[in-house]
Amino acid sequence: MPSPSLSPDELATEFDTLMRRAGITVPADRRVGLLASYADLHQQIALLRNRYAHTDEPSNVFRLTEQA
Amino acid sequence: MDTADLSIAAMGRALRDGSITSEQLTRDALGRIGTQDARLHAFVLLTADRALADATRADRELKSGVDRGPLHGIPHALKDIYDTGGIRTTCHSKLRLDNVPAEDSVVAAKFAAGGAVLLGKLATHEFAIGGPSFDLPFPPSRNPWNVEHVTGGSSSGSATAIAARMVRVAMGSDTGGSIRGPAAWCGLSGIKPTYGRVSRRGVFPLSWTLDHCGPLSRSVEDSAITLGVIAGHDPADPASADVPVRDYLTDLNKGVSSLRVGIPRAFFQSAPAATRDVLAGIDRTADQLRAAGATVEDIMLPDYALFAAAGRIIMMGEAYAIHEANMRSRLLDYGEITANRFVLGATVLAADYINALRARRELTDAVNAALSRYDVLLTASALCTAPRFDAPVDAMSSASPMQTIPFNVTGHPAMSVPVGIASDGLPIGVQIVGRPFDEAMVFRVCRAVEVLSGWESVALPV
Repeated sequence: MPSPSLSPDELATEFDTLMRRAGITVPADRRVGLLASYADLHQQIALLRNRYAHTDEPSNVFRLTEQA
Repeated sequence: MDTADLSIAAMGRALRDGSITSEQLTRDALGRIGTQDARLHAFVLLTADRALADATRADRELKSGVDRGPLHGIPHALKDIYDTGGIRTTCHSKLRLDNVPAEDSVVAAKFAAGGAVLLGKLATHEFAIGGPSFDLPFPPSRNPWNVEHVTGGSSSGSATAIAARMVRVAMGSDTGGSIRGPAAWCGLSGIKPTYGRVSRRGVFPLSWTLDHCGPLSRSVEDSAITLGVIAGHDPADPASADVPVRDYLTDLNKGVSSLRVGIPRAFFQSAPAATRDVLAGIDRTADQLRAAGATVEDIMLPDYALFAAAGRIIMMGEAYAIHEANMRSRLLDYGEITANRFVLGATVLAADYINALRARRELTDAVNAALSRYDVLLTASALCTAPRFDAPVDAMSSASPMQTIPFNVTGHPAMSVPVGIASDGLPIGVQIVGRPFDEAMVFRVCRAVEVLSGWESVALPV
């Protein structure tokens, strides 16, 4: 999970690691722009982290009925 | 008679009283496309021969007493992510240039069964997300109000075709605002129905749990007529809702007297991208609704940033699941904007996605609670008018000027309707949000806004 309050260098390292893990080769000329987008997404992810208690269930918890 | 300005209902009456033919409507539309599309790029494929054959058949059927309903003989067009049997469907992408589906999408089939005339396939941002781009197989469509400005996306060609009066109605899709955004920026009506209201089967997915199919059109009535034809349960679409389709026209002109309208003002009032013209448009609309007998009050919803975060994380995660293999092996075959958006999905981990789904439950409950006290919500569609191609905005970032994604997250029906022209000469719209499956109320309020704003007397630019 991305970590909060990372420095730009730490964020870049994390991004590179995640891309490597995904098997994606990012062209060098796109990396700077992608890092900016990643930082923005990273902040949005952080907004939702630690917000919910164990009782807060996701929207896709499903309910079965007798008839499939 | 300039048939380009006839509403769908007016075309229907003329077809049935014999004062016009579908063939004439179709030839007129093809003529306008022929003179306009070289500079506007709404269409990626014109199906002129099929259109004329469809029109001839529609005329023959009407003459022989076969009436397929309100879209019988009406020209339309489809965003190029809707499968069309035997007709190339590209998603505006190099990756699907050779894709010719065997079957129609459910929506395309419903238009065909309803006797409508397919003019062709429309430009989109690549895979309904990547654009406007100049590195794709087809050029980006341009805003007829000013061709130096974007249409918004991703249903870009749909908006261009209608605003340029090539067609009255076209299908778009909306995962974060791809119907309502272009509608707002091109002076059109556009509805994202309730999640599950229209079958998504045969439409290339961007994000399964956020994707909605719906029309863009010249008028609210055009959209209401169209939704009445394409809505309905599809057992083969796992998200399709088994809820009866209401008559969207009966209450359309009932006005807003005694209705309750809530404004989630904190969504937009202090947003950095909000322009004075857009804020004034919302306030003017609120005043007009109040003067017409509605109760209009400010309300509080959870922070807009939570809606935006949940929507983006869900979209990135689901889209990446669809494109994962190609991100590894064919990254450079996507347009740069598309690729840059999709690869970020690789950074969304399971806990991030699940937290977004927990947010979705919280936020949906909050909107439902608000709509237990109000018939509809009134808010911004977009915070500014359409930007220039050379000054693009990132509709996927947290600073996006679009204010549409909350209702993809929650699934509520939401419509953008134009309310005026800004000081830069470009249209502005507002967004009306209703209770689940209460599209009839959304149409009713939007129709009132359309009348009260005087939009019907505004001349289109082309």
